[in-house]
Order: sequence, then structure tokens, then C-alpha cells
Amino acid sequence: MTQIEPEDTRVNWERALVERACAGDVRAFERLYREHVGRVYGLCLRMTRDPAIAEDCTQETFINAWKALARFETRSSLATWLHRIAVNAALAKRRKPTVVLEAQEDDDGEVVESDWTLETPLEVNEIETAIERLPEGARDVLVLHAIYGYSHVEAAQMLGVAEGTCKAQLHRARSLLREKLGVEVR
Amino acid sequence: MNDANDNGERKVRSLRDLPQAVQPPRDLWAGIEARIEAERASGAIGGASGPAGASGPAGRKPVGPRFFARPTTVRWLAAAAMIATLAVGIWIGRMGLPGSGPTPNAITARNDANNSTEHGSHSPPGTNNPPNGAATAVQAAYLSDPKYRAERAALVKSLEAQLASLPPDSRQKVLSSLATIHKSMQDLEAALGKDPSNALLQELLLNTYQDEMRVLTTVHEASDAGKGI
Repeated sequence: MTQIEPEDTRVNWERALVERACAGDVRAFERLYREHVGRVYGLCLRMTRDPAIAEDCTQETFINAWKALARFETRSSLATWLHRIAVNAALAKRRKPTVVLEAQEDDDGEVVESDWTLETPLEVNEIETAIERLPEGARDVLVLHAIYGYSHVEAAQMLGVAEGTCKAQLHRARSLLREKLGVEVR
Repeated sequence: MNDANDNGERKVRSLRDLPQAVQPPRDLWAGIEARIEAERASGAIGGASGPAGASGPAGRKPVGPRFFARPTTVRWLAAAAMIATLAVGIWIGRMGLPGSGPTPNAITARNDANNSTEHGSHSPPGTNNPPNGAATAVQAAYLSDPKYRAERAALVKSLEAQLASLPPDSRQKVLSSLATIHKSMQDLEAALGKDPSNALLQELLLNTYQDEMRVLTTVHEASDAGKGI
């Protein structure tokens, strides 16, 4: 019997589930949803700063993924593909006036506090709050690059900005974050 | 102040350690599934002929010959399970035999109904929306369910006679599909013997049971239709 490496097996199962979902198997797609929903919702929440909007974005992400599943190349990462869709969903939501009114902040860092919190240790919460208070562009890049590990090229493609802009935004984000954490640290 | 700065710097550097996954406060799947089903019902999805008929994601690639022709990249079990499904799907999709069975749409619509009980067809219990992590219980219920066992036994018993009423190429496809499904079952059961708690293996095994019942039921219906019943 063929020896299968654990990691390889996981990827293969994912491929198998994608193939089944492509064939119309909703249960297989549900399995993929359960596997990836945390990372998708986490990204949406960090980008939108609003749990209700993040939920909408997450649902839109998976519905759009279902519709476009046939175009997904199984050799690439499903997680990355879902994240691309999620970023588009979050950016689209942000462009809607109602969302802008609720969530926009200016570059001075004056923000309306949102009510979401993570059930994580205090220090993590503190960092998340500081990220939440960053300006949108800087926050998006920081989240994609520093938390989710995407390269500047990938993050720039996802956000539809130039790579140079992405790097500049990251620099800005880190500076602001240092400032915010420095002030908040006792 | 230096301590504070160092601490802040450490936090900035620790961004990678933040959890990437955040679970939503409620299960979002129900809403997603409802939207998918609504789109299916409205006919917004479909067009391409896939292995499961017009029930899959919109604009999906035709699976079938191209799938079988591409290099074997998926390992044994996953490949076996997929091939079984595809074989069944392709066969079901082509079962619109002139004058000898239901139309492809009728058949795929029946399959889309997922666990429909029309024509006395009993689908495995618990296969619709199995709760997370409940695959073992579902599987046990499936195999021990007397209705399922009785119906399967009846379908298997009449299979030979029904196959005789089908055109030779269709008969060959049925036999080939069933052989693939049974091979998948054996492989999956063997793998489960080594890793009994593997939910994905359990799920794939459940799917092969469903596939087998679909084939048997479709043969039964096509055969009946061919006899003018």
C-alpha cells in the first residue's frame, strides 16, 4: 500500500472535496467551509472591524467560491483563493456608503470603537485593538502581510494596489502600531 | 520607558503569532446553503454538463473524459472515491437512453433531491446535513438501518434482470461504475481500519454508499421505464 505523508494526505483530501463539490456535492463544500471558515472570518473581521459585516463577507465569500469553484486550480492553495475572494468581498462592502459611515476613520487615527473582542489573552487583545485603530489601507496590508503571511506582491494583487504602495502602507502601519502600542504599554 | 518601548516592539514583532482563524459567533453555513439551494432552484446555476448533472457550481469545468485523462495527481483513496463519483455521475448524466429511461434532467433532478424517497427509494439516514463530527454515528446508523439494508438487498437482487433490459453499452457502464464504487468502499474501509476516527474517510465512505444506491435506484427506474411501466 502506498505510504502517504500526513500533509500530503490533507491536501489530497481537500482536492477530493473540491472535486466532489465541483460535481455538485454540497456536503463536500460544507466540509471545506468548516475547514476554512475561521481563517476567512478572521480576515473579514480584521478588515471590516464589524462582526455583522464580517459575517456577511464570510457568507458572500463562500457563496462566490461555490459559484466559481470550477475555476479553482487544485494545484494552488484553496485557503489563498478563498482569501482573495474574501478581500474582494470586504473591499466591496467597504465601498458601500452604509459601511463607510459606520466604520471609516480618518488618518488622524480617530476611530469609532467597534464592539468586537477576541476571547484571547489580554496582550493579544491589546494588539488586535491597536490594529483595529489603524487607517484602512495600512491595516489591510498589515493584516495580509504580517498576520496572514502574504508577500507584498500577493497582498498588492489582492488589494488592487501597486507593490510599492503596499510596502509604504506596511511601513506606515508598523510605525503607527508602534506608536499606539507604545502609548498603551505601561 | 525603554522597557515600554521594548515591550511595544516585541508586540509589533509578534503579529505573526496572532491567531489567523477566528470562529464566527454563529454558524454561517445555514445561510450559505440556503443561498446555494435558492440559486439551484432558480436555475441560476448550471449549464455545463457535469458528473452530477446540473447541480454543481455554476460554470464548472466539464469533468469526465478530461478528468480521467489528466495525470494522476490525487492519491489512491481520494482518487478512488472521486472516480467512483464521477463514474456514477457520467453514467447518470448519459442515462437518457432514447426510449429506455427517464431523461437526464429527470434523473439528475431526482439525484439533486438528495435522499429522495420517491419510487420507494430509501436513502441512508443521517446523510442530509450530518452534524460536524457525527460521521461515525451516521455511518453506524447507515449500515445498520434495516430499511436501507432491505432496499439495497432488493435492488441488488433484481439488478441482473434489470441490466438485461439495458443496451449493452449502458450495461457495461453500470457494471464499471459499480466495480469502481466497490473498490472505493474496500479501500476506504481498509483505511478506516487503520484510522477509524478519520472524519474525512468516513465522509467519503458514506458518499460511496450513496453513490451505490443512486446507481442501483437509477438502474431500477431506467429498467422500469424501458418496460413501459
